[in-house]
Formats: sequence, C-alpha cells, structure tokens
Amino acid sequence: MTPSWQIRRHALFWLLTAYAAVIALHAEHLPRWILVAAVIAACWRIQCFRGAWPLPGRPLKLGLLAMCLTGLLLEYGNPIGLEPMVALLVSAYVMKLLEMVHRRDAYLVVLLAFFVAALAALFDQSISGAGYVLGCLLLVLAALIGLHQSDTTSGRLRPLRGAAALLFQAMPLMILMFLLMPRVGALWSVPIQTHKAKTGVTDTMSPGDFSQLGRSAELAFRVTFDGAIPPQRQLYWRGLVLSKFDGRVWSRTFRTSLDDGALLQWYGQQPKHWDQLIERRGDPLRYSVVIEPTQQPWLYALNTALPGGRGVALTRDFRLISAQPVTSKQQYQVISWLDYRVESANLSPDRRKIELQLPDGFNPRAVALAQRWRRLESDDRALVQRVLNLYNREFIYTLQPPLLGRDSVDEFLFDTQRGFCEHFAGSFVFLMRAAGIPARVVAGYQGGERHPDGYLSVRQYDAHAWAEVWLPDEGWVSIDPTAHVAPERIEGDIQTLLGDEEGFLADSPASLMRFRHIGWINRLRLDMEALNYHWALWVLGYDQKQQSFLRGLLGDTSPLRIALALLGTGGGLVLLIGLWKLIPDRPKPLDPLDRQFQALCRKLERGGCARLSGEGPRAFAERIGLEQPELAEQVMAISRAYEGMRYGEQASQPELLAKAVKRLPAIRR
Amino acid sequence: MQGVVDKLVAAVGTVLIGKDEQIRLALACLFARGHLLIEDLPGMGKTTLAHGLAKVLGLSFSRIQFTSDLLPADILGVSIYDRHHSKFEFHPGPVFSQLLLADEINRTTPKTQSALLEAMAEGQVTVEGETRALPTPFFVIATQNPASQAGTYPLPESQLDRFLMRIALGYPDPQSERQLLSGVDPRSRLAELKAMLSPGQLLQIQQKVNEVKASESLVDYLQRLVQYTRDEPGFHCGLSPRGALAVLQCARAWSLIHGRHYVIPEDVQAVFPAVAAHRLSAEGEHAGMDSDALVRRVLNAVDIIDVS
Repeated sequence: MTPSWQIRRHALFWLLTAYAAVIALHAEHLPRWILVAAVIAACWRIQCFRGAWPLPGRPLKLGLLAMCLTGLLLEYGNPIGLEPMVALLVSAYVMKLLEMVHRRDAYLVVLLAFFVAALAALFDQSISGAGYVLGCLLLVLAALIGLHQSDTTSGRLRPLRGAAALLFQAMPLMILMFLLMPRVGALWSVPIQTHKAKTGVTDTMSPGDFSQLGRSAELAFRVTFDGAIPPQRQLYWRGLVLSKFDGRVWSRTFRTSLDDGALLQWYGQQPKHWDQLIERRGDPLRYSVVIEPTQQPWLYALNTALPGGRGVALTRDFRLISAQPVTSKQQYQVISWLDYRVESANLSPDRRKIELQLPDGFNPRAVALAQRWRRLESDDRALVQRVLNLYNREFIYTLQPPLLGRDSVDEFLFDTQRGFCEHFAGSFVFLMRAAGIPARVVAGYQGGERHPDGYLSVRQYDAHAWAEVWLPDEGWVSIDPTAHVAPERIEGDIQTLLGDEEGFLADSPASLMRFRHIGWINRLRLDMEALNYHWALWVLGYDQKQQSFLRGLLGDTSPLRIALALLGTGGGLVLLIGLWKLIPDRPKPLDPLDRQFQALCRKLERGGCARLSGEGPRAFAERIGLEQPELAEQVMAISRAYEGMRYGEQASQPELLAKAVKRLPAIRR
Repeated sequence: MQGVVDKLVAAVGTVLIGKDEQIRLALACLFARGHLLIEDLPGMGKTTLAHGLAKVLGLSFSRIQFTSDLLPADILGVSIYDRHHSKFEFHPGPVFSQLLLADEINRTTPKTQSALLEAMAEGQVTVEGETRALPTPFFVIATQNPASQAGTYPLPESQLDRFLMRIALGYPDPQSERQLLSGVDPRSRLAELKAMLSPGQLLQIQQKVNEVKASESLVDYLQRLVQYTRDEPGFHCGLSPRGALAVLQCARAWSLIHGRHYVIPEDVQAVFPAVAAHRLSAEGEHAGMDSDALVRRVLNAVDIIDVS
C-alpha cells in the first residue's frame, strides 16, 4: 500500500479529456442522470487533485453504488440487454474515477475507457462514428502515456503526439487483423435489442404511422442494381404483409404460413412446394441492398423476389426475411422478377378466410357502400376500378391528415377525405374485403433517390403502404390507391410533393436534405452519402466478402492456415518495424578528404598501427613516426597535406592524397 | 610569432623551471583574452608564474591576498575626503592593474568574490555610482588551494565559468627539481626579467587570435565534442555554448602560439582539458570521477572524422 501516489497534473488532464470524450460518445443512449453523475465525478476528481475535497469514503462509495444500481433498474427494468449493460459499464467507469488512489487504479480507468470507447461501435458503424471512436482511442492512449511522463520534462501536448505515433504504428497491424481475423459471431450473445424506438416501418399500421415517418430523412437502405435502375413507379420495396385488422390497427397474421407447414425457404435450399405458386416471367433483376439497422428481421425487396445470398429466406407470403434481426448495417443480394403471377390458380379456403377477415361492428357505412357496389358490379376488376375512381375524384393526399375516431375507415371515406398512404391502403383493403375480394395491406418503401454513382437510396420518408388484391386467374395483384390520388408521389418523389408542407422532415432539422435545392450543398450531400455507402459496402460489408477474399489469398480457409497467415504477416510486420529501429541512420557520405585519410588509417591498421579514437592526424603521424621510423616521413607528409586541406587554407585535392596513400608501402610485421 | 612565444616561454621558464606546457597554456589564455584559474597546493609556483608573466609581457602587476575579512572596497578602491581640496578623491584599489593575481580567491566571502568577478566579466568597475574602466589588457590569475577547504567559500559553477581556463601546475619532474635546487633561487631572477612585449604588441596578438581560421570540419568536430557531453549519460550538465566558444577561442590562441593560422583537432585537444574540465562534473554511475578523467573520456569517445 503506497498511499503517497498522486496523479500528475498532465496525466489527470488527459485522463479527464479522454473520459469526457468517451462518455460523450455514449451520451445519446445513456440516461441523463449518468451524464450528470459523470460531470460531478469529474469535478470531484479535480477538487481532490487541488486538495480541496477528500476522496469519498467507503460508506459513501457503497451508497453511490447502490444508487447507481437502483437507478439502472428503475431506468431499464430488465437489466439484460445492450443498453443497460453499457449504462452499467459507464457508471462503473464514472465511479472508478472516484476510486483512483493507486497507480493501478489509473490503469484500470484507462482500460475501462478503451473498452467503453470500443463499445460505441455497437451503436454506430458509420464512417464518422468510426472516426469518433478512433479519436477517443487517441485521447485514451494519450492518457496512458501521460501517466508515465513527468510534468516538468514534457509539454502538455507531448502525450498526444506520442499517442498519435503509436496509433499510426498500429495501423498496419489493424488493417491486417481487419483483413484476416475471422469474425466470430457466436461468442457475442448480448441481446442487441436497443430500447429506443427507432424510426422505421413497424409490423403494425394504424392511421398516422406513415405520416410520422415522413418527418424523418434517415436512411433506410441503399440499393445497387446490376443493370439499370427500373422506373420509379416500379420501385415498390415490399417488406411486410398485414392481413389482420382489428378495426383500427392492421397487423401481421401468423397463421398464414403456419398452416402450410414449411414456411421459410432459405437461400440454396430445395424449393418448397409453395414455390411453384409463383410464376416468374421475363428477365430477372439482380441487385444488392445495404440495409440500416432496423432491429427487425424483415428485409425489403421488389416483388417477386428470391434470395440471392446466404442468410436470407423467402417466406410463405413471398417476403424476404433475414436469419437474425438486422442490428447492424447488413448487405443482402436479391433476384427479382417484376413480371409475375402469384397464386393465380386458386386460393385455399383457409387463406381466403384470412384475407377476407374483418372485425364486426366497425365502419358500417363503408361496409354498406362496398356491398352496394358489389351488387352493381359483378366483375372484381370493375369493382376495384370503381373504388379507385372514388379516390381519384374526392380525396386529398396530405402529410397532416385530420385525426380519426373509432370508425376510422368510415370517417376517412365519408367525412375527412384527407389522408396519407396508410389511409388509402387501409380503407381500400377494407372496402375490398367488405365486397368479398381477398385483399391485404403491404408495407414497405416506394421509390428512392437516384445517385450519380448509380445506386439508389431509400429514406424513411419514402415509407409507403399499398394493397394487394386477389383476383381470379390473376392471383395477387398490387394496387396502390395512393397512385390514383397523387400520381406525382409515385412517379416523381415525395420531396417535390410534400417539400413545402409543414411537418415534412420535422424530425431531421439538421438534415442536408432540407437544402437540396442549393446546388453545392446537394453535391456535398451526395458525395458524403457516396462515401458512407462505400464505407458500408467495403468496410462493414467485408464480413461477407472475407471468405472469398481469404480463399483467393490463401487458397483455403482452414483455421490453421488463417492463424498461420495472421501470425506470419503480423510477426513479419513487427519484425520489420523492429529491424527498422535497429538500422542506424544512414551514414552521411564521407568527405573525399576524410575518405583518403581513412584509407591511410586502414592501410596502417593492417600493419598493426591503428589510429586511436579521437587521435588527430598530426598526433597519429607522430606516433607512427616513433613506431615505424621508415614510414615516418611519408606518413607525416600525408597527414600534413590532409591537415592543410581539411583545416587550413590549402585547396582540397583528394586525388593527391589518394596517390600518396597508394605509394605508401605496406608495413611488414 | 612562434619565435616570440618561444622566447617568452624560455624567459618565464627561467623562473618556473620545467613547466613550459603550463606557461604556454597561460599565454594562450591571455592571448584569448580570458582569465586564468590555477588550482594547486601552496608552494608550487603559482605566484611565480603570475609574476613572471607580468614581467615579460610588460604589464603592471598587483597582488591581492584574499582573506575572509577582505571587503569589496579593498579590491576596487575607495573615495577619501581630501581636506586640502575639500572634496572626495578616489583611491583606486589593486584591481586597477593589468595583471592581477588574486591569491586564494576561495578564502574570501562571496560578496568580495563577486566584486572581483564582475570586474573580470565587464572590464570595468562601478564604485560609488561611478563606472570606471579598467586598464587594458586586464588579466586576472586567480589561485585556489584544493587541499584544505576548511573555512573557504568554494566558487560556484556559474562563477567558475568566468575563468576561461583552469590549470594545475603539479610537482616538477625530478630533473627540473634538481636543477631548481642546485641553482640560485629562481625568484631572485624575477627582478632580472625584462619586458619582451609592448602593450600594443600584446593587443595585436590578441587581435590575431581572432583571425585564426577554424574550418568547417573543425567546428563540426568541436560541436560533436560538446554534443557528446550533453547527450551521453554521466555528465551532470553538458557544456554550454559559452563553454564551446571558450574552447574554440583557446584553440585559436593555441594554434597561433604554435605558429599556425588554422586550428587543427590537436589544438582543441590540447586546450580542451584546461577549458572544459572546470565546467563539467560527473553524475550517475560516473559520479566521483575526477573532471580530468571525464574530459579524457570525451576526447577518446569522439573521433575527428564523423562516420556516424
């Protein structure tokens, strides 16, 4: 026990700077009170350093610990999960700052900082996020170096320079490990369900949901097509099928698939029996999607799709689904046939029942209307057209529809007549079902922004809901009632349609999207997006490419070979750096005169008369004169000449010296 | 030039037998316009050397025996009221001479020491608010006794730095000592010494020292010597730039004494112990190493050709 250890001023400065940076990294998903506690702890630490306050005693520390744990329990309820765990770690980090009595405590604080900083990568994998984490690591390294430097001999910025050098030296190793280190997913079993509600399409739809999404410019996913991007009106990114209606909310029904047994058809698997219900025509469209984290398993694709890569399955209702919830940026391949027929032959009675389900006692006026029209029109197509015409005539498409009461479909159809896509899709499917036509709501995204680089970005405000109706002989047909109210929404983009409306992008106040009419800002935005896209594709998406990369590099991806390659190149790299350090600085080229004098010295050395270190030419020549009198004259002459040229006024003539040295006979021993 | 120097050395050599090397160093120090500190036991001929140099160079000579009760005014001079002329008249102290022998400088208080040292550094003294120039050339030979340090005030490093050189005389070799013992008392010959240089000639020589060429390679060698004392462990602190300048100036004087107009490494090596030793002290594992050994270490470690 050496209670005399006292952290030095510079070390504390860097430790607290790193502390602030690391905690700021997590500020977004930490409870406010932890941030307050962090500030208090830092102030306390500074006061301790100034000698104003004592460090907290044991009872106080126990009290703080209890308060923290209670706070976390109250905040999260269930302590298992990523966010509560990170919050726990951060609060431990904060409290350790108050417990820093010995040097080893300071090391522990530094280690904790490293770990907490690295955890941030779980929440944000963007290029800027990676930059922040790297910056934090730099500061933490500086703190570590600061712990080993005294205040007097070094400037305040010196640890930072050292840290930068360290980080720079570690770069090749980092790249190497990134390329070769196998990704072990299975070891990581903390549930990464974040508690915060993310914006995005959910598996229920009630009036107002999609207009909420219109307020956000957050990226949903990006798509790169192998060929040209299809026209805007064909870009219906199908994500969910909502068949169940309880009078207000549309949601998924699970019975659809369960009845049919095998409900998932994974990539590479033998086609399930229901696969033959899909009739695919024409040339397939191949593309890859990089999806932002949604915390949900479903994926988006153009109908009708087949998985084009591992980890993706086709569901019984012809959607794509991922093996795990999408908790980080993920890339998947898709093959789509835009020309298709699905379940055209027949719809089983069970499924027909599901797709006709309506709650009793809701929306009587709409039911009455549908039944009246049913009597007028025997043809399903004609009935569909009649409903669409209704929308076309009377309705207004708006981001801010009026609120609706219990019979939402009735109120929308007959009273307010103002709505967003979910109102149209919902009421349309309701009318269809009331008229006896199987129908369902489809949720996903529509359209997307085309980039000069040839890819498409789909944002939250592109979220869309449309309908699918089942018609005899035609099967499931996509019908978008919104397209009949506001064709611009489908053909053009939502920006031009709603850009002026209040509430659009309200949740993204700082988004550059708002300024996209200004040329250079828009170009900047597109460039930044392209950079982020390539980052996602090549750095985050490397996980999927690693196998093939390694196979190309090593010929085989057995663990032994990877380990050998990792050790070999890593060791080689370290060895190279070590050798680099060992090699002395390149000797500067010798002056020609010095070279001749050295030639003389070497010649005499071979005869056993070495010049001593520090011995001047004259002193050397005099000594030689004593030891080898027969050479005295010649050696003295050479020395004098060298001395005169090197130190005196004589002109430098190395060739004269060279001749004289050559003439000098070798000493016989 | 060399002839003149040889004659000077021979003349002083008649009173200080067998110490030609030290006489040359003392001359080099004087020609380089520096002050000399002689550190040796009593009776080794310190005073004789100083006296002899004053004689042959034709300089006015005075001697101060430093004691613990000596006051600055005893050195610099004092104003005394003259009743006849009804005013204060300045009576210059012994410092107003061209060659001052400050005997046992470490016996006096720091206050008195600093009065002398200021005069050495500035070439002038300030008494009662009036600045008075000292004669030129002004050359101080101070002595101190290293053996008995009781009741002394050792000069701090910063003041040692004011002396261009520090030399020791050492015992004479047996032959010289026999010669000394068999002949007449050499000190009686002091009176017979004649001035061999005029003050103007001395100033001329001092001027010539500045003109001696120090080539680029020599400066490079000197700089590496100095750098070595700064970089290598074992030195309490490295040589200052002032120390480096002192070495160069002395090396110039040394090469002039040897009739050359350019400095060679041997010149630097010859004066380096006298100039650098009192500015260096050992520390760490070499602590306790005497400063001469320390200086030899530097000279042996740094080669004249930079092959690094």
